[in-house]
Amino acid sequence: MSTLNNAISASASALSAERTRIEVAVSNMANAESTRSANGEPYRRRDVVLTSDPANSFDAAFGHASATGVKVASVVVDQSDFQRRYEPSHPDADADGFVALPNVDQSEEMVDMIGAARAYQANLAAISMIRDLVAKALELGRS
Amino acid sequence: MAGINGISDGDVISALRRQMTIAAARQAASAGNLANVDTPGYKAVDVSFADTLDAQVATHPAHLGGATQTGVHAEEIQGADARRDGNTVVLDQELLKMSRAAGDFSAAQTALAAKFRLVRYAINEGR
Repeated sequence: MSTLNNAISASASALSAERTRIEVAVSNMANAESTRSANGEPYRRRDVVLTSDPANSFDAAFGHASATGVKVASVVVDQSDFQRRYEPSHPDADADGFVALPNVDQSEEMVDMIGAARAYQANLAAISMIRDLVAKALELGRS
Repeated sequence: MAGINGISDGDVISALRRQMTIAAARQAASAGNLANVDTPGYKAVDVSFADTLDAQVATHPAHLGGATQTGVHAEEIQGADARRDGNTVVLDQELLKMSRAAGDFSAAQTALAAKFRLVRYAINEGR
């Protein structure tokens, strides 16, 4: 039974990691036009870095079957160049009339979000399958 | 003792239990793979049914009924095509493996329940 409990906690860790990915993608999209942030420059897009996380390191150390979870290692700031748009009337335009806009690409964020949503669904399906297995095993105890 | 073992069929029951253990291990391995579907560099693992069975049966004939889940190992799948980020998890294959493991588990559970029903029938003197 501990094997299945491990499996459920691994899937649960994936649910929370994928949700973080969606949250970050959404905040990137929301700030696609934010030309000012706390440090004065335009918003920089963020990226989630995932890393695997043994749910039960005791079992994993002995090479026993044990589900490997996942966790968010860090949220890194994308240091690529800002986009520039010619808009002299904008309050943040420079001397040449160009505005620096966040380095957010809408389509990239959408693709990331769809990928995360699919992974979330898959893990949800996994959890319900494991739950059925546990319920099936418990039926043995019924007279 | 032979009579009791004849009714309860220890060998069959332990074989069914082994099938359930391995099915649960495969389920856990696939759940771990699914959890890491977007982890760069993660290598998918699998529980090899044939290897595990051989390892457990081959130890000693007397251990057939005593084999526990300590023999179940998960290993990285060799020779799998990696994506650009080095990850070798294939989403639909893992879901398929999970369904198959659930089927195996369910089958063994049904057979085990039938066995237990027979034992209960004998204990209750056929009532």
